[in-house]
Amino acid sequence: MLSGVHIICFAASYSIVLVLEISRLVFRSGVRGAVMLAFAGAGWIAHTAFLYYRASSLLSSSQDWYLLAAWVLVLIYLYLTWFHPKQHFGVFLLPLVLGLVATARWFANPQPLAREPVSQAWGIVHAVSILLATVSVLVGFAAGIMYLSQVRRLKGRRTLLAPLRLPSLEWLERASGRAVVVSTLMMGVGLVSGILLNVINYRRHDPVLPWNDPLVLATLGMFAWLLAAVVVGAIYRPARRGRKVAYLTVASFVFLVIALGIALGMGLFLRTQHGRPRTAGPRATSFAAPHPSSLSCFHPPAARIGGQGRPLDDSSSAFILPPSSWP
Amino acid sequence: MNVRVVGCSHHGTPIELRERLAFDREETAEALDHWRRVFRNVEAVLLSTCNRVEIYAAGAAELPGGEQVAGFLARFHKLDPAELLPHLYAYDGPTAVRHLFSVAASLDSMVLGEPQILAQVKQAYQAATERDATGPLLHAAFQAATRVARRVATETAIHQHRVSVPSVAVADFARGVFDRFDDKHTLVIGAGEMAEETLRYLCEEGARDITVVNRHFERGQALARAWHGRARPWEELLQALTAADLVIGTTAAGKPVVTLDDFRRVEAAGRKRPLLILDLAVPRDFEAAIGGRPDVYLYSVDDLEAACRRNQAQRDKELPAARAIIDQETGRFMADLYRRASGPVIQQLKDGWQKPKEHELQRLLARLPGLDERAQDEIRLAFDRLLGKLLHPPLESLRDESRNGVPHGLLDALSRLFRLKD
Repeated sequence: MLSGVHIICFAASYSIVLVLEISRLVFRSGVRGAVMLAFAGAGWIAHTAFLYYRASSLLSSSQDWYLLAAWVLVLIYLYLTWFHPKQHFGVFLLPLVLGLVATARWFANPQPLAREPVSQAWGIVHAVSILLATVSVLVGFAAGIMYLSQVRRLKGRRTLLAPLRLPSLEWLERASGRAVVVSTLMMGVGLVSGILLNVINYRRHDPVLPWNDPLVLATLGMFAWLLAAVVVGAIYRPARRGRKVAYLTVASFVFLVIALGIALGMGLFLRTQHGRPRTAGPRATSFAAPHPSSLSCFHPPAARIGGQGRPLDDSSSAFILPPSSWP
Repeated sequence: MNVRVVGCSHHGTPIELRERLAFDREETAEALDHWRRVFRNVEAVLLSTCNRVEIYAAGAAELPGGEQVAGFLARFHKLDPAELLPHLYAYDGPTAVRHLFSVAASLDSMVLGEPQILAQVKQAYQAATERDATGPLLHAAFQAATRVARRVATETAIHQHRVSVPSVAVADFARGVFDRFDDKHTLVIGAGEMAEETLRYLCEEGARDITVVNRHFERGQALARAWHGRARPWEELLQALTAADLVIGTTAAGKPVVTLDDFRRVEAAGRKRPLLILDLAVPRDFEAAIGGRPDVYLYSVDDLEAACRRNQAQRDKELPAARAIIDQETGRFMADLYRRASGPVIQQLKDGWQKPKEHELQRLLARLPGLDERAQDEIRLAFDRLLGKLLHPPLESLRDESRNGVPHGLLDALSRLFRLKD
């Protein structure tokens, strides 16, 4: 039954939750909290079912990767709303969730990518770490924006009693700081595993990703930025206090958007070779865009999204891979 | 069976008279003992707070009227009853119960929604129970009052918005900046009442590291000692400010004790983290321009009072919802009370029919000795069902009539029809 779940099912649930979250700024209600959690929980279960039915090829496409990032972000939202029901986290987190889902639906490539079995383990490490780094950057961004909103409220005394309820500056500062550290660590792991993947491909005489690829450069820039921030913060404590850490998370988000933009625009405006779909044959030697016939062995997106078809059993296409958006 | 309240409150009685009428713990015990001697079989609870003195009475017999209670209070405090009587109010039945619920839920308090009153109501009931002055009626009424007060607290936001300057300073302002206070350096400038009251709220929130700076070092030391903090001489104010996370200004100085230039020196000395300043002094202790510095959150007493007023308005908005709860619970309590009044008649009615049923059942079973166990059980069940069906209409009528008061007429009719004993 759950195989019939479509993106619109959970996207609609999350949209309703966002509307309910915004309505908290307008009027009080005794049952709204439970309704919000019910809709968010139902959406998350539908989301999980959707991903489960793609499990054999999970993370094999850019679309999967965005949806998984949204799934993790909703999980974080549910946790925060359950344990801090009075705070309005949803107003900041749910737009990011819906942004990821919308990107997955309309912009991300649903075509699965083929990789050789030898790279499967490092592919998992690479994709998962980059995914977690991205989620951390998004959480940090939300915390940073909340921090700046809270500063604005506290400085402008008139709005202090406005209905928007946010955690204390101290809590938000801590959350932002931790998000920066986690995203740096994960990004580092993602970069190292990406390099190892490239080395493996090189040794196997497979095509490698050039180091001057725009996406690689954007990601390296972001990592350098995050690393510098963490190192400076560790050496000089005031650098990770107050508004500085909030601005840092906003800047990290800008880097992330640039990197994702490069990934989404690949083949259109920028020339990146990262994560391009490859022909199904072993040891393919070309990154050329796949001919439709060469993709026929992969399950077509319509069949997978609507649950009308089963994922392909072909082991060569079933590896968890980094999305097309990351090196 | 009735409930009555007689008393006076801040609504219409001057504080001078309330002070003379007030009961401390020992006086309360003594008065309750005296009450039991004077008004036998009348339950009583004596509630005495800063804003009210009330006696709640209940019982099946005739309750003492307003004049009798006024005389009782006047004799106890050696006052003239004529002086007291114009200030007393007396409510009976549902009005008395509604009043008790309103008092417990803090809807009748001087500061709407203040949380202390519920504890005071509980203490009053406890004191009366200890003196054996309460009974089933007041027990039910005060238990219900506690439940209603909790319901009002959870289903409305009447208690959520604080209304005193120190409590707003801590709950609405300090909580917006800090998540916890046990690892924060709190600096108190001045050693007046406002400083002490704010410290009380802060310590309740977990503040541990407290420094007091006062022009008169000895007074600062006394305040610091009371809150397990330390005092520093006035000359070290700026050094203390450098180390502080939260500052409370409460001096009576005629001009700011910390100017913008002073604060710039503090920043230059290495102060980089967020600083919350609650300037509760009038005139202000901190120059207003300091609030414009990055990571400094400066609030004057005007800001806090504005927040208090908005909080009070928020509480007032919750009043209709709270009153609706009180009305609903009063109706429920009174219906229960009236049903309770019908209880003895219902029990007698049931018992009166039970005996003939058992008698006829035994006679029938004795005449039919060949019946097996199953058949006997079926006959017993049939008798029980018949009895239930016969009793259902009168009991249902009693229940319906009990909704609007004790159904004296119906109870009397039932007693006479079925020859029930009193």
